[in-house]
Amino acid sequence: MNAIFGIVLTISLGLLCFCSPETALSSMLNGGEKALSLTMKMVVIYAVWMGVFSLMDKSGISNKFAKLLKPINKFLFGKIPEKANDYMSLNISANILGMSGATTPMGIRSIQELEKHENTEYAIAMFFVINATSIQLIPSSVMALRTSLGSSSPADIILPTVLATLLSTIIGILLVKIFLKKPKLKCQNT
Amino acid sequence: MSKYLIPILFFLIFVYALIKRVKPYDAFTLGAKEAIPFAMSVFPYLVSIFVLTELFEASGLSAFITKIISPVFSFLGIPKELTKLVLIKPFSGSGSLAVLSDIFTTYGVDSYLARSASVVYGSSETVFYVAAVYFAGAKTKKLTAPIIISLVASFFSCVFACFICRII
Repeated sequence: MNAIFGIVLTISLGLLCFCSPETALSSMLNGGEKALSLTMKMVVIYAVWMGVFSLMDKSGISNKFAKLLKPINKFLFGKIPEKANDYMSLNISANILGMSGATTPMGIRSIQELEKHENTEYAIAMFFVINATSIQLIPSSVMALRTSLGSSSPADIILPTVLATLLSTIIGILLVKIFLKKPKLKCQNT
Repeated sequence: MSKYLIPILFFLIFVYALIKRVKPYDAFTLGAKEAIPFAMSVFPYLVSIFVLTELFEASGLSAFITKIISPVFSFLGIPKELTKLVLIKPFSGSGSLAVLSDIFTTYGVDSYLARSASVVYGSSETVFYVAAVYFAGAKTKKLTAPIIISLVASFFSCVFACFICRII
């Protein structure tokens, strides 16, 4: 992350010195403004979803949910702590159902929970890749945009989108399985 | 169909909580309370990503890279009109949405280009943004491998998207 940030920022600022020095600061501030307005939106979305999640936690549904998904989680992530398993199950179900507001708070919590334990680097990497390759089933925002522009069949992109997103997630999972090592033995020793 | 999903789900969750004698007001407030510190911890990372994206665009670096890389992309079956979308998507959701609606209005919303652009947009994530948000409070700095894997996987799905839209 530091490397990418450093390289892109240096080259961009270097170019701006020659081309249009007056836009450098304004575009940076513009970025900050966008970040703030997104944060505001996120506060509201988080508040509602985390309220609902807290109810699920207290009533024990989230635990039942997690038990249901346990075999899949075991296949994907290996041995993971129970609390993290709860959060990760909610995140993955929200991903599949396309509830984008709900995925982020549970995603952050899952990673925080995983970090409290040792030998969870593999699970963190796998979990991130699954989230970053998206498992969206109904591309609702694209369809809305197409409808508003007068498309004759806005829904004809659903099937290709589902196939493409499945493909990217499967490739992601396979690459993690190939290139990163599952800490199997260490877990059994402790 | 999907419009019923959320209300039904919430209804079931609330009813189940009541059956289990959870105090609904207390529990809901307890969860909602965490929203502000949560969003605040993400804010600095968002600023960095958005500043980066803005500079990337404003400096003309993105246009330059688009120009260089588009022959490589078209060799793999990604039309040169979609290069910008494929490059912008990992960084910015709003930026790529702007590029997408640009493609819609320029080439017609039902054209091959527009359809493959829709699939490219819908099937990939803003990888750097997800990385920034998910690892906002994290100690782990081993992000390189997962980020590269996600980008590679997303790129494959872009190639596949352009291919499948040609057939269907």
